[in-house]
Amino acid sequence: MLAEKALDLVRELQRSLDGTLPPYNEDKIRQVLEEMQTLFDQNKDKAHFAAEGQTHLLSAIQLRHAAIRRNKRCLLAYLYNRLEQIKKMRWEFSSVLPSDVKYNLCEQEVQWFNQYNRLLANYMRSLGENGGLDLTQDMKPPKALYVLVRCLVDHGEFETQDGTTILLKKNSQHYLMRAECEHLIRQGILEHIVQ
Amino acid sequence: MQADEIEARLLRKTFTLFDFKGLEMLIKDFKRDFYDTLQRQRVLVLVAFDVDALCACKVLQYLFHCDQVVYTVVPVDGLQGLEQAYLENAEGIKHVVLINCGATVDIVELLQPEEHVRFYICDSHRPVDIHNFYNAVQVKLLMREDELSTIPSYDEVFRDDDEESNQSGEESDDPDSGYKKKRFDDESILRRQERRRWNEERVRILFDYTKFTSYGTSVALVMFESAWKLSKDTNSLLWLAIVGVTDQYVHFKTPRDKYMEDIIALQSHVSRHNQRGSDGESLLSVNCLRISFEEELHLNLYRHWTLFDSICHSMPIACKLRLWTLKGQKRLHEFLAEMGLPIVQCKQQFSAMDMTLRSEVKARMQEYMNKYGLENQDIVLPSFSMQFGYRNLLCATDYVLACAATLESLDASSIQTDNFLLASDILQRSNPEKTDTALEAARVQLRSLVSQVQSSLDMHQIISAGPFLYVFVQEGTADSRFFSQPLSLIRLARFTLQAHCSVTRNKKAHSLPLVLGAPLSLDEGTCLIIGIPPLDTDDERKNFFGKAFEQAADSTNMTVKCNGFDSFIIEMRVEDRSKFFDALISILQ
Repeated sequence: MLAEKALDLVRELQRSLDGTLPPYNEDKIRQVLEEMQTLFDQNKDKAHFAAEGQTHLLSAIQLRHAAIRRNKRCLLAYLYNRLEQIKKMRWEFSSVLPSDVKYNLCEQEVQWFNQYNRLLANYMRSLGENGGLDLTQDMKPPKALYVLVRCLVDHGEFETQDGTTILLKKNSQHYLMRAECEHLIRQGILEHIVQ
Repeated sequence: MQADEIEARLLRKTFTLFDFKGLEMLIKDFKRDFYDTLQRQRVLVLVAFDVDALCACKVLQYLFHCDQVVYTVVPVDGLQGLEQAYLENAEGIKHVVLINCGATVDIVELLQPEEHVRFYICDSHRPVDIHNFYNAVQVKLLMREDELSTIPSYDEVFRDDDEESNQSGEESDDPDSGYKKKRFDDESILRRQERRRWNEERVRILFDYTKFTSYGTSVALVMFESAWKLSKDTNSLLWLAIVGVTDQYVHFKTPRDKYMEDIIALQSHVSRHNQRGSDGESLLSVNCLRISFEEELHLNLYRHWTLFDSICHSMPIACKLRLWTLKGQKRLHEFLAEMGLPIVQCKQQFSAMDMTLRSEVKARMQEYMNKYGLENQDIVLPSFSMQFGYRNLLCATDYVLACAATLESLDASSIQTDNFLLASDILQRSNPEKTDTALEAARVQLRSLVSQVQSSLDMHQIISAGPFLYVFVQEGTADSRFFSQPLSLIRLARFTLQAHCSVTRNKKAHSLPLVLGAPLSLDEGTCLIIGIPPLDTDDERKNFFGKAFEQAADSTNMTVKCNGFDSFIIEMRVEDRSKFFDALISILQ
């Protein structure tokens, strides 16, 4: 069936979009592009005859053309949604992506990600008074400035913003600035204890 | 020059006096001396492994959260752990709070801290080390003043040695004046004599002071009262204080009088926090914590067990009826029958018992107890229970047992600090499943405790050594591993002593203390030894074994380790045991 592969592509992305990014399916994209190319070639031949007066070919040309357009839309949707996902991850994981996500990006996406990074960093640097403002923190307004955390692994020493070092040893409990330990919580080194 | 010197000496004297009077070693004003100085500082909190300390720590944490004081909590399991935890976390720390640890040792000597570090010690262990008490600069004590009245006065135990050195300096200044020298010689002899006498006196005073170890007010209660003075007390903090006080009673740290005193103090707080509308309809939401005062049945875990089992595993009643014997079992059946409690009902979960029976158990027990030689004290204990939601009606003693069982859980996959956090979660009350597992663990512990007591009685392992009784837990039995932990060990020793006293024909048994040994590690060949005071001094709960063990170890020149914070529990190698006991017998005679 026409344009079925493109739909598969979109479906595949849709299925796995909750928090992860599936590998860039280059193979399938190439197949879709090939299909589009064949359709286009066929149309080019037939258009020649149609122009000469064989009007019964027109409807077939139109059908193929619609299929080409549909494929194009699907491909764009696929790419666009992936970019959106990458963008979301930039806000969640900060400028360094986890290696398993990075592995799933294609060359151009990596380029785009780097550019986006640069833009965002520049923008954040220009904000605020001194040294900019990290927009990625506190995506929702925090309830408390400090949080109680529990250390899940032996992490070693950790330097806080005011210059003191604390030892993050397994099973020690600390009351820390939320902003300081948020990334450690995301990395699974600390556990946030809800009171 | 003479005049100058005299003036200088006078000045120094006034300065030492000033230092001593101007700085309080006790924290009298919690807010000014403790709380306000900690604001905007990083605080290190070191907590001992017991339920009371854990509760106090939770109260303190709550206070710190209120004012956003940044802190680090590290559980410590003994003096070594304390030292290590301090070394690891000391960087950049100016204030260290010690909860239920450190008061009985010279903390400055042990940790060698830098000059600017301040220690705040909140500890129920007594006696407090005199160096801690008189070091007003670096060490502050957070405890009740009236409990420290027995401490020797400053002049009795310390002496400013400046005079001595000054005098010797003077002597060397004018060596040619023979007459003067002679005078000085006489003087110095006198002084030396006086000094020797003073030293002997000092040793005696110190010995009297450190002879007995005991316990002061629960640290959780002290913390709670401090929170109350800051107007930051809540119902949950109150519950923590109750658990702390109950823990001291359950683990035989405070006598019943002291417990009652604390309970009465707590009760006024309870009624203040748990007021209801007069019509009884304006009840709080069911998800609020409600605490109520009750004359609670003194049966371990009976709400979460069967009544029958619970009776068999509660110390006072089990010892009175001698429930580990066949005859005792018969008597129990008789007792239950007389009370009109069908045995079928008693042997199913208490929560599944008949409603009417359930509500009458206490009244019926009190009615028929006299015939079986039971006293009111054995059966009821004034205590508190709390309700949180529909399911979780828990009384304070059960809570303590559950927490203690979790703290000392022997799960191979978890390390000790995991247990600490788990117990801390249980105190948080948020997770009923965790509480259920903890209660199950407590039941397992109680069962093994009773079967251990039974086997030592059946095999006549409790032997009188003259001045004391002793018994060893056999190595390699399935239950012995439970008793490698201090809290269970204390309960086992006490249960064994009480059970022994109830069966023995020896009239003297009540005035004999008990020494109990339990294997600690088979691989290293070490065992734990605990000594508890005799039953007839039960009103005081003062333990002299700390000092006795120390002397016995000194006289045999062997190494015993007292790693925990209780000096009456020591650790030693198994092969040294008999030598140690010989020394102990000769000391106690």
